[in-house]
Amino acid sequence: MHLFGIETEYGITREDLEAVDPVEESMELVRAHLPGKFERRWDYRGEDPHEDARGFRVSGLQQDKEEDDFAKVDAHRPFSFHEMKSDLVLPNGARFYNDHTHPEYSTPECRTLKDLLAHDRAGERIVQRAADRRNQQLGGAHVQLYKNNTDFHGHSYGCHDNYLVSRSLPFAQLVSGLLPFLVSRQLVAGAGKVGMEAQESGFVPGPFQLSQRADFMEAELGVDTMHNRPILNTRDEPHADRTKYRRLHLILGDANMCEYATALKVGITRLVLDLLQRGVVPNLELEQPVAAIKQLSRDPDLKTTVRLRDGRTISGLAIQEEYWNAASRCCAGSDQDADWVLREWQETLSLLRQDRAPLVGKLDWVTKQWLLETFMREERLAWEDPWLASLDLEYHNVNPDRGLFLGLEAEGKTWRMTSERDIAQALATGPSDTRGGLRGLCVRRFSEQITGMQWERVQFAGGLRARTLEMGDLFEPDAVQACAALLEAAASPADALAAWTTRKDG
Amino acid sequence: MRYMLMPERRETPGDPMPKPSGPSEEGGGPRRPETGSPDKDNLLKRMRKVDPKQAERYRQRTGQ
Repeated sequence: MHLFGIETEYGITREDLEAVDPVEESMELVRAHLPGKFERRWDYRGEDPHEDARGFRVSGLQQDKEEDDFAKVDAHRPFSFHEMKSDLVLPNGARFYNDHTHPEYSTPECRTLKDLLAHDRAGERIVQRAADRRNQQLGGAHVQLYKNNTDFHGHSYGCHDNYLVSRSLPFAQLVSGLLPFLVSRQLVAGAGKVGMEAQESGFVPGPFQLSQRADFMEAELGVDTMHNRPILNTRDEPHADRTKYRRLHLILGDANMCEYATALKVGITRLVLDLLQRGVVPNLELEQPVAAIKQLSRDPDLKTTVRLRDGRTISGLAIQEEYWNAASRCCAGSDQDADWVLREWQETLSLLRQDRAPLVGKLDWVTKQWLLETFMREERLAWEDPWLASLDLEYHNVNPDRGLFLGLEAEGKTWRMTSERDIAQALATGPSDTRGGLRGLCVRRFSEQITGMQWERVQFAGGLRARTLEMGDLFEPDAVQACAALLEAAASPADALAAWTTRKDG
Repeated sequence: MRYMLMPERRETPGDPMPKPSGPSEEGGGPRRPETGSPDKDNLLKRMRKVDPKQAERYRQRTGQ
C-alpha cells in the first residue's frame, strides 16, 4: 500500500508595508481564494500533536508557550480562531489554510508520483491565484509568496512529506532504518541555501549549502515541530485507523521547486519504507545524526564523510548508494514508479559523483548553485554579498513574472513530469484512486450538506440516517472507486452512505 | 564547484528523459530540458531586477 502527500507552508510578505501583520496577511490570502463567505468546516478533533509514536503522550510541546503568547495577542483581533485559520477543503480534496501565519497547502493523498507532482504544482497555482486576487483588492502586486523554508533571519517553516505506514512495523525499526537515509536525502532533495542560520539566532552570510532545513534540525527524534526540530518527527497522528496504520510525518525536507527533486524525494523514501517493511534495510548507524545532517549540507562538493557507530566513516553519496543497492535488489519490478525511481536515483547519484551539470533543472540545489555562481561571475560578487540571499529567496517566488526557478522553467530549462493539462485536472479533482479524490468529490457534489471534514471522515447533515463517510481504512483503489461511483450517482449524501454501507456489509 | 562546465551542457546534455515504462507515459509525460542555448541574458536580467536588500527585509514567524 503506497499513499503519500505533501504539506507546504508558504512564506508571505507585503512589499508595500514596512511592518507586515503575518496573521492577517495569511488569513486574507486564504480568504482571497474564496468567491463567497468563509464557512467553518474543518473538524480539529482528529488532531492531537501531543501523541508520541514512542508510546506516550507528552504533556506539552516546546512551542506551546509561544503559541499561548501569540494567542493572547491574537485574542484582541476582530477575528475568531476559526476565522484566522480559514481552513478550506478544496474540490480537489486538498486542504488550504493559515497555519502558524503561513498559507499552507496540503495535497490530497496520492498513490503515484505523477499525481503527487500534479497536485503539488496545483498548490503553487492556487496560492498564486489567491495572491493575484488579493493584489487586485490592494491595487498593486504587493503580496509575494515563497515556496521555501527560511526567512534568512533564523525563522523556518516547513514542507512535510507524509506516508501511510503499517503499524505492524515497530517504530524503533523505522527509526534505525530511516535515520542514515534521511540525513543523506538532502543530496537529492535539498533546495540549496546561501549562508547559515540557527533557530531564531540570525543569519551568517556565506557559502552555499545543500539544504534549507538542515540548520534547523536539533534532535534525532521528537514530537516537536517548531522548536528543537527532529530529523524524525514522532508525532503519532495517523489520520487513519490507528490500530493498523501510522503516518510517517517527515519535517526535515525542503520545499522543492524542481519536479524531478520532488519525485525523487518522495519516490526514494517510499522505496526505503518498502525495504523496512521487508526487513532488508542497510545496516548503518550514524554516530551523530544531528551533526551529520549539518556537515553534509555544508559541503556542496560532497566530499565530507560522517562517522558511523562502528568507527567507519562514510560520505553522504555512499550512504545513498547503500540504500539504492538494497532497493534495487528488493524493489525492482514491483511497479512502474519503483522502476522509474530506481533508474533515476542511480543516474542522479552517478552524476553527482561525476558531472552534475546535467542535473541543472532537475535538482534544486544544483540549479540554484548554477544560477547564483553564474550571476556572481557576471557581477563579480562574493558569497557574503547580501544580494545572493535575496536571489536565493527569489528563486522560490511562485509569481511567474518574478520567480527565478519559474523563469528558468518558462524557458524550457527544467525537467517536467507534469503537463499543463495534468495540473488543470489536479486543480479540479483529486486522485481517482485515493480517499483524497473522495473528499474532493464530496465537496463538489454535496457542499451544502457537509457539516465537518477531516482527513479520515466527512460528516453530513442528515437527521436520523447515517451521515458520516468513514475513510480511516478506505485505501484500496477498487473500494475507493466503488465509493466514488455511489457518491456520483446518489441524489443525496444519505443515499450514497446507505448504498455504501449495503455494499460493505454485503 | 565546477560550473565552468556549464557551456558544455549545450553540447552534451545528460539524458533526463525517463526510459519507457516510467510512471508518466500517459498525458504530457516527462519532458527533457531544451538543449539549445540557454537564454542566460533573460534570466540574468530577471536576476538583476532583484532588490539586493530583499532578504534583509523579509521576515516570517517560525512555522512548523
